[in-house]
Amino acid sequence: MSKLGQVVESVEKYNQFVLDQVKRARTDEKFGRDLLGRWNDIKAKIPVSRAPTGLELPRLALPEIDEPGEIARYLFGEGLPGEFPFLNGAYREMYLEPVREVEEGSYGKNGGETNGKIDKKILQAEEPTRLFSGFMLAEDTNERFHYLTAHQRTHRLSTAFDGPTLYGIDSDADGVFGKIGEGGVAIDTVEDMVRLYEGFDLGAPTFSASMTISGPAPIIMAMYIAAAKRRFGPKVVPKLRGTVQADIFKEVQAQNETIFPTEASLRFLTDMVEFTTREMPRWYPISISGYHIGEAGSTPVQQAAYTLSNGFAYAEMFAARGIPIEQFGPRLSFFLDCGLDVEYIALSRVSRRIWAIGMRDAFGAGPRGQMFKLHTQTSGRSLVAAEFKNNLTRTAAELMLAYMNATNSSHSNSADEPFTTPSEEWIRLAAHSQAILLEESGIFKHTMNMLSGSPGMKAVERAVEAAILEEFREIERMGGVLAAVENRYQRSQIQNAAHRYEQQIYDGTRPIIALNKYRNGEDDAPEVKLVRTPRSKQQLQVDRLTKFKKKNAEKAKRALGKLADVVERGENCFPALLEAVEVCSLGQITERLQEVVGRFRPMV
Amino acid sequence: MASPIRILTAVPICDGHDSAINTINLEFIRHGIEVIYLGYHRSVGDIVRAAIQEDVRAIGISSYNGGHVEFFADVVKHLKKEGAHDIKVFGGGGGTITHADAKAMERKGVDKIFFAGTSLDEMANYVRENYSKPRQKRSLAKTRDIELARRLTEIEEAKGRKAAKSHARSTSTARVIGFTGPGGAGKTTLIDELVLRFLSHKPKARVAILSHDPSVVGEGALLGDRATMINSQHDRVFMRSMATRGQAGGLSPATEGCLRELIGAGFDYVIIETVGTGQEAMPFQKNGIVDMTVLVMNPDYGARLQLQKIVMLDLADIVVVNKTDQARARAAISEIEQRLDQNRRAQQLVASVAKRHRDSGVDQLFGLISGDGLARAATKKRR
Repeated sequence: MSKLGQVVESVEKYNQFVLDQVKRARTDEKFGRDLLGRWNDIKAKIPVSRAPTGLELPRLALPEIDEPGEIARYLFGEGLPGEFPFLNGAYREMYLEPVREVEEGSYGKNGGETNGKIDKKILQAEEPTRLFSGFMLAEDTNERFHYLTAHQRTHRLSTAFDGPTLYGIDSDADGVFGKIGEGGVAIDTVEDMVRLYEGFDLGAPTFSASMTISGPAPIIMAMYIAAAKRRFGPKVVPKLRGTVQADIFKEVQAQNETIFPTEASLRFLTDMVEFTTREMPRWYPISISGYHIGEAGSTPVQQAAYTLSNGFAYAEMFAARGIPIEQFGPRLSFFLDCGLDVEYIALSRVSRRIWAIGMRDAFGAGPRGQMFKLHTQTSGRSLVAAEFKNNLTRTAAELMLAYMNATNSSHSNSADEPFTTPSEEWIRLAAHSQAILLEESGIFKHTMNMLSGSPGMKAVERAVEAAILEEFREIERMGGVLAAVENRYQRSQIQNAAHRYEQQIYDGTRPIIALNKYRNGEDDAPEVKLVRTPRSKQQLQVDRLTKFKKKNAEKAKRALGKLADVVERGENCFPALLEAVEVCSLGQITERLQEVVGRFRPMV
Repeated sequence: MASPIRILTAVPICDGHDSAINTINLEFIRHGIEVIYLGYHRSVGDIVRAAIQEDVRAIGISSYNGGHVEFFADVVKHLKKEGAHDIKVFGGGGGTITHADAKAMERKGVDKIFFAGTSLDEMANYVRENYSKPRQKRSLAKTRDIELARRLTEIEEAKGRKAAKSHARSTSTARVIGFTGPGGAGKTTLIDELVLRFLSHKPKARVAILSHDPSVVGEGALLGDRATMINSQHDRVFMRSMATRGQAGGLSPATEGCLRELIGAGFDYVIIETVGTGQEAMPFQKNGIVDMTVLVMNPDYGARLQLQKIVMLDLADIVVVNKTDQARARAAISEIEQRLDQNRRAQQLVASVAKRHRDSGVDQLFGLISGDGLARAATKKRR
């Protein structure tokens, strides 16, 4: 049995445990009395919050139950926000506005200590904004980064790379000229990486960098470290904060940006994780992503099931390498899609619960390693060009669902995305939709659990959990995640679902307003002016690369030879990568590694 | 009944967005079109070479990652340079291709760009209406590949009733190797790994591949082997994908004619791959035009008794048990070894994991096929 089979068993056992506790609370009088006592205690300590109208509300809403069995079902089955199994939230207060005036007789008195801690945390919290950006050359993206963060206390950058970089190819490779700097920034060498983050204090606690790249992630990660060292010296390394996507499984299952055979990619990934969890305790070396699985057309249940099972497979792999779970467990984070299908009412809630139980009971992780830290993005696929302003409504509804699921952070898509790279006008409106829901409206800021636990939500939770576990069992029957991936199981399931979705749109069983229903036939998408990378800039990138290669030709040969030897010997290649990026380009390293481990063979 | 339309579809280099093209491929097939799918992240050179070798009517490109104006124009330019003027280029990219872009692309010779919101029917109908008329007069073939590709088309459209040019088998030095075996055994990956070895160990060798996928008479087919055969997209490799068009047994009515044509065309190796076959299949006859037959199996063929029913185990020169990293591989190898012993023939048994880079089993097979010493030392001669 792989760990995934054990996860299924753990969840089944845990569900049985909850039922047992319910029964026990009803039959064992002392146990029932204790539970009731605890419940009343919890309720008594809930602080009061006050709406701008003056209405007083509890900061935490709990079901109105006073029967020990139901209390047991709630406390063990769902947990309070911030408590195992984290159904209602990874943290206690999530989006609540800070307590401004501590009221006598409530929070200040009863929960003083905790309150103090939380308050401090909120006051120092980072702005949730992390806008995805990357275009043209490193200096162009750098300028945009400075513009985006000009008025921010904290600098949270999110980097998009161009196609050649995502595929580990150099800008001077045959036939990629038109793709340089398109859809993301062009990075070929450590010198580009220095330019990309010029002017930012990479070691500062207020800075963090996110890099959305998976296939060549270890090479790009090494370049980032090398660039930081060039600017701040070797002591900066343990201070570096940020994340690199590095999710190989979802690439093979859905997004197709893989450059080495799966097993070799996983090995390089583990090399990187071993290094970063040891040397860079504040870095998140992987973002386990369902977003691209969802966008490739999976059903919501497939998205959650494949993402979670990928996560458990990574955990199994890192543990097998000997990386302590207390080291890597808290360094895993997740990224999910949120669309309009009904499953999204509870998909992330259920995911958080399964992750917590699996990590605790199948992997023996402590509390920090049980937490499913989630970034949610609204569904790009749900947006359409026809009467595109409707996309504002779609995105707002999706955001609402994301917050009902207590996501830790979120990205809302621009309404103009179906036909262009988002323009500033619509980006601004998209960002505002988050602020309107969290800050302007009273829905999420006064009371935790405001919309949790309705009978409908519970029904969705039960159905979704059962379906996810069934997917796990199917994957387990195939021999686990890696075996299923190699059998193209997830890929073909996603493709089937995508095909069905398209069919439903065309036959009208899936209404898309203004597209297949209530259509006025007009194309109201404005003719947009796209920002394209000028040829002169693309040529500049190629010229820089040529110069770099010429300058380092001799050293590169030696570094690549050394890297290849390390890989042949089966050692952790990350230290050799760190040396190689000083004198080699991304494409040179990719090619040399491909000679040793082979190229990825695409799956159809 | 007219032959189905053959088109090639692909996604450009540095672009992995294959969700749209996968759906569109299925729709084309449903409309009776044979689709040769080259896969994603494909260069202009790979696309043009494949289109020429497959002699398709048109190339459909699905691009979602930018740079489409240059890329589509490059494909058109390259086709013209190679003398393949009559292969049309169409495509789409959802909302990423603007109307202004499309105009620029059409000015550069692109036939048609579909915008977001186009129905699948509309696309399939466009292909059927615009690329189905028989090509009457074709200009003189400019290259060896184009000439050969057109000959294969003629043979295929005549359903094998048209004979190949009178190339005498005796004057050809081509070694012809037939690969067969059940679906999912890894034939395609194995062949592609062999091609990698041909190319690197024989710097001048030219290889031809005739690859088959199943189809029903008059209906469409997905010919997808090229997408996984990354090493075979090479200037020294000529590959042709064929649908069986209703013929049972793993090959097409035109296979033999096409094979003779390839044999006479000066290749050093001609590889023919059948569709995934059943136990009774005998795609390659004794003393036929195939010099050597390879049966590729995977370890999970079922109970040992099943082996008695697999006809090709009697006929194959080489039996490859692939995927030996899977469960029950050792048992499979020894069971098949015993089964071959009954035949009392000089058959070879090779165990491989073709998906593994530099797999020693594939090296061994390469040695057996090429007559090279690459892995001869490792070859276990059977009594």
